[in-house]
Amino acid sequence: MLEILTQSPHFYDYVTAAVLLLGAFNVAEILFLLWNKARVERSDLKRQNLKRLASTALITATDPAALLPRPAAEEEFAAYSEAIASVLDSFEGEITIKAVQLISDLGIDEHYRRLARHRVWYKRGNAIDILSSFKLKSNKEFFLAVFRSETSLDVRYRIIYGLSRLTREHADIRALARLLSGLPYLTAKYTEDIFYNIITALKAAGNEAEFGIFMREILHDKTVLNLVKRDCLTACYAASCERGRGLLKEYYAAFPDEPEILIAAVKALARIGDFSVTADALKNQDWRVRLAALKHAHLCCMDMLPEITAMLRDPSYHVRLNAALALAKGGDRCRVALREAAAGPDAFAASAAAYALGQEDA
Amino acid sequence: MKLFLLWLAVHASQYVVFLYFLVVNSVYTALILLALRDIVRHAYLTTSRVARRQLASEFYFKPVSVIVPAHNEAAVITASVQALLNLHYPEFEVIVVNDGSTDGTLERLRLDFSLLPCAKPVRLQVPHEAIRGVYRSSAYRHLIVVDKVNGGKADAINAGINASSYPIFCSIDADSLLEPDALLKSSKLFLEDDELIATGGIIRILNGCTVRDGAVTEIGLPRGFLEAMQVLEYTRAFLSGRTGWNALKSLLIISGAFGVFRKDMVVAVGGYRKTVGEDMDLVMRLHRHCRDRGIPYKILFVPDPVCWTQAPFSLRMLLKQRNRWHRGMIDALLANRAMILNRKYGATSLIGISYFVFVEFLGPLIELFGYVSIPILYYFGMLNERFFVMLVLLAVFWGISINIGAVFLDIYNFRRYKKTSDILRLCVLSAAEFFGYRQIMLLERLIATVTFRKKGWGTQDRRVFEQKGTTV
Repeated sequence: MLEILTQSPHFYDYVTAAVLLLGAFNVAEILFLLWNKARVERSDLKRQNLKRLASTALITATDPAALLPRPAAEEEFAAYSEAIASVLDSFEGEITIKAVQLISDLGIDEHYRRLARHRVWYKRGNAIDILSSFKLKSNKEFFLAVFRSETSLDVRYRIIYGLSRLTREHADIRALARLLSGLPYLTAKYTEDIFYNIITALKAAGNEAEFGIFMREILHDKTVLNLVKRDCLTACYAASCERGRGLLKEYYAAFPDEPEILIAAVKALARIGDFSVTADALKNQDWRVRLAALKHAHLCCMDMLPEITAMLRDPSYHVRLNAALALAKGGDRCRVALREAAAGPDAFAASAAAYALGQEDA
Repeated sequence: MKLFLLWLAVHASQYVVFLYFLVVNSVYTALILLALRDIVRHAYLTTSRVARRQLASEFYFKPVSVIVPAHNEAAVITASVQALLNLHYPEFEVIVVNDGSTDGTLERLRLDFSLLPCAKPVRLQVPHEAIRGVYRSSAYRHLIVVDKVNGGKADAINAGINASSYPIFCSIDADSLLEPDALLKSSKLFLEDDELIATGGIIRILNGCTVRDGAVTEIGLPRGFLEAMQVLEYTRAFLSGRTGWNALKSLLIISGAFGVFRKDMVVAVGGYRKTVGEDMDLVMRLHRHCRDRGIPYKILFVPDPVCWTQAPFSLRMLLKQRNRWHRGMIDALLANRAMILNRKYGATSLIGISYFVFVEFLGPLIELFGYVSIPILYYFGMLNERFFVMLVLLAVFWGISINIGAVFLDIYNFRRYKKTSDILRLCVLSAAEFFGYRQIMLLERLIATVTFRKKGWGTQDRRVFEQKGTTV
């Protein structure tokens, strides 16, 4: 059969050409590798130097734009943007004003705005990430315009992330919520991050109450996914929303059949030192809610000693173990109960109690 | 008639070998191209400021149990555990499972980490041999040691799963070192994607690198030919192979040396099965479990979390390892044979498993057939010498391209090997592989194919990988 191939008049010419091409390709690849290595090393060095120079100029000079060379290559833009973003994260006052000024003076925002319309989606995504790290209010309209024309979901999620860092007022939160609800639910962490950014931006602007208004609006809104409501509560936990105490309790009361919301509310309240729902959560039918409450039980519920001791015989392994650990942290009276359980007839309760006692002794 | 049949057989076999050569090399080339796209995109997105900020965020994690099965690892266990205790991670526990060691591994751990007996209740969720005792370090509260009767690596990890407290677990070999941010990088994927059930990072060769305080401080290509050759093989297997399979949604292996899993899913499939290829077997069963039940899932390889592992430094050890890998692969394929060419399992079966059956399993047999047929055809005057020479040249040059392509993926994106001499040596090794090394490995894979029913791991010699910052 191979004769059919080998007897074709140009067969060996083609094979020879393929071998030669592969040989040349191999040599070219090696040369490119070596050239690229040298290029990247040079570029890294240049980037580090520029970054250092930009940071120093921003902190020490009155007009940093006059001192710094205008960026032309991609790595120069990257170096400046990193330095500026890091200054914006670490400083306040005059230095940040200079940093924001430098972004427009050196044409950095223009450059990344152009890149945000690049044909390759991950380059657009990267440009959006960099623009959002500047937290420029002026980017809000640009982000909204890009969002409307953007086709990649990945980039759209990044735009919303960028917008979440620019939230200042109630209308911004509503607009963001609308954009978010137009996209498929991504992950709990993403939504939580968005709301965390919103809360911290509002806190910084002294407008924390705005988030409370928003949460009250969506409390009974059936069009908002319960998952999103849960993520709002988790964000409250992460951002320690002291002012949201009453609202968190309202959420706890409004969703008795949604364990995920109950858990988020219990945790968020506990973080701000409010254990008013913990005792109730300890009696919940869902083991995950009982578990979340047990993590803080030693701080508030030692008057519920019989109930917690009974949880040493809970069907859930995690609940048994955490009930024992809560008792171990609960003082002498609780430890007596633990010792009794450790010597008791119930093997499950005994092993959990023995473990907790061992932990405390160690 | 007989002569005609012989003629037909000889010619048909030539065609099979030629076709096999074309298909295999095309697959490898396609994998490199897919991997290049994936790696460049991944590198772009994970180096952004937002990504780095999220990685550093204290809220951006799920607690992880790191499980280290250890059988006769006294030489390396202390350094390995110290490296794990130094991981940058907000909440994790390290569970070392002493799998019936006879070289004093448990004693070493007891002395070096002040272990005390602990009454931790262990749930029997997945089966394993009896546990003799559970210990907790009084110096490091998140270090737990489980001492059990010997049952093999899979059995030891099962015991670790039962003793673990967290929803995600990471299994790592005792002779391996994780980079400090490897756990953060791999576990954050579980936060970003609710469908993710398993992920693995890249395994790199520790030989030739300098280790200080449980961390790799200087990266270099090992001096020995065999060790350096393995660097090339690992680079090819992980950066072009697994990244490529990733893009095709057909990843079938998450290395046993470093894999991160959702515990509930592993428990749902009954944990690890006692076999020499427990890593591939588990991933195949996870695919099967999810597909059978219509559970949306993802199994991903990510190229930036790095685990450094010791590679065999003698030919005897290397052959033993390759024999074990091949036996493990055959065993996993046999155990999950229902997935072979089964449309129900989608791309995983039609692309991933087909590759393993037709290239990895049947490949050595076809290659051997090719080598054997050359002298026979020559003897009977049926060898087209010109064609033969051209085919060999084409095979070697194409193979070199694939190897250099893998080196290119690594050096271009990750730049771990920074010395020019190391890069050039990798390029030379890309060619050297075809002159002896490949044939020796082929022979061992054939032996493994014949003896695949053989159980057991055998022993591996270890080098102590830290002597005050010396090179491994």
